[in-house]
Amino acid sequence: MRNKTLKGRVIVEGHCKAKALVSAKPISFLGGVDPATGKIVEKDHDLCGESVKGKILCFPHGHGSTVGSYVLYSLSKRHLAPKAIINQTADPVVVVGAIIADIPMIDQVDISLIKTGDLIEVDAKKGVVRILTDGES
Amino acid sequence: MYLTKEEERTYDGERGWTDQTCMKILVRLGELFNAAKLVRISSAHVSGVSYKTLGDAPAEFLETLANAGGKVRVRATLNPQSFDSEYLGRRLEQSLREKQLNVLKQFARMGFTESLTCTPYYLRKPKRGSHLAWAESSAVVYANSVVGAWTNREGGPSALAAAIIGKTPDYGIHKPENRLPKILVNVSTSLRNESEFGALGIHLGRLLKDEIPAIQGLGNTPETCLKQLSAALASTGMVNMFHLNKGAQTKTERLEKINVETKDVRKTVESLSTREQSEPDLVFIGCPHCSLGEIKEIALLMKDKKVNEKTEFWVCTSQCIKEKAREYVAQIEKSGGHVLAGVCTIVSWTEKLGIRTIMTNSAKTAYYAPTMNKAEVTFKPLKECLATAIRG
Repeated sequence: MRNKTLKGRVIVEGHCKAKALVSAKPISFLGGVDPATGKIVEKDHDLCGESVKGKILCFPHGHGSTVGSYVLYSLSKRHLAPKAIINQTADPVVVVGAIIADIPMIDQVDISLIKTGDLIEVDAKKGVVRILTDGES
Repeated sequence: MYLTKEEERTYDGERGWTDQTCMKILVRLGELFNAAKLVRISSAHVSGVSYKTLGDAPAEFLETLANAGGKVRVRATLNPQSFDSEYLGRRLEQSLREKQLNVLKQFARMGFTESLTCTPYYLRKPKRGSHLAWAESSAVVYANSVVGAWTNREGGPSALAAAIIGKTPDYGIHKPENRLPKILVNVSTSLRNESEFGALGIHLGRLLKDEIPAIQGLGNTPETCLKQLSAALASTGMVNMFHLNKGAQTKTERLEKINVETKDVRKTVESLSTREQSEPDLVFIGCPHCSLGEIKEIALLMKDKKVNEKTEFWVCTSQCIKEKAREYVAQIEKSGGHVLAGVCTIVSWTEKLGIRTIMTNSAKTAYYAPTMNKAEVTFKPLKECLATAIRG
């Protein structure tokens, strides 16, 4: 059992607890995530086929078209959005998307310390991420 | 980031949800890029207008903003849409037309000018030194480098937020120290036409990434060639401006130098064609949108000529320029070509119209069409494009 606290920078305030979905690759929301299902559809992506719904989505940063911001909004309208977003380095596409979709967001976190399936708590008021239980245990 | 009392009140929601959301976008982006404050802008230009590239998600957000009473505070223009009502619109299914028109309706409710062009500087030229929040990368490079206005390369949503607030975060190219050249480009070949200027842009974009160049060796260049250079530079690179070094305006002694030779330009021209074809489905001129002068030139070259039956010939521009060019438009249409207003080939449904092969003089279109339009591309200068349209 790891019980770790990671510090980061608050981008969008909020608080939640959920399972982590972690990728080592950047995500393009336009074309990379299906707004109708919430599934990652980008071929060759390490999370291809996974749903972002209800997860705490951890990835290095976004890339691709700025229309991607609107995809996050659309996901949240359909209750398919991630519960929170943790980035290594926030980029404009994801930041704007998180603001308009009102998804709690923190960046400047070392996401290599988080594993898919870990139960984590995001306190996006203080800018703190707590790994509560290990995904494997 | 410093906010005035008024900006703070907007941030806290005193002016409603739309203004609050837009202010949050600007402040968060400002913090991300270490802006100290917001600056007033004289205009905003929003990309992400074509329903083909947008899909349904943005329309929902735009409608929510418009329903909450969102209104632009500065002149705000729009990028091209996916069809024109006179020609392409008639060949598309009703549901697509309706969805596109709904996007335009939401922008109109918020007070956007229905400019539908990627060359808003032909409609109203920004003042030298004025701050702008423009998306559309080709217009950003042109505005900074040729017009002398100041704008970062905005995304669709950040330009939208800037239009509604009338301000943009003060970072990047809004700061004089970030507009200085970082690298000297010596062009030791003479470029023969607009397509070669485009090829130079594609080549430099890859080399420069985000380093602003001072380019020397171009001589007196027509603005339409600089437009091709701007569009291409933005396609492959992140650089938002260039300087033309004609003599001693810029101190360049200490800069790193790179040389561009004839073979670099030729190789790039060749690489932009995916296939040599003598009978393309479409010959397309107007990326970025044509100026009045370009339409006149095309009309004169097409005089007493006929476009062959197997080939579509499109000239794209804004509605505003099309109206000004009425007599030349009539000439082009008499020869069997189509002058399309407010539409862009790259973001139109060419696949649905059966277009598999495109010939163009635009390096930007040649760069994007293989992926955006799933088309084979032949990249040739204007005169060869027109000759092909006539001959087939």
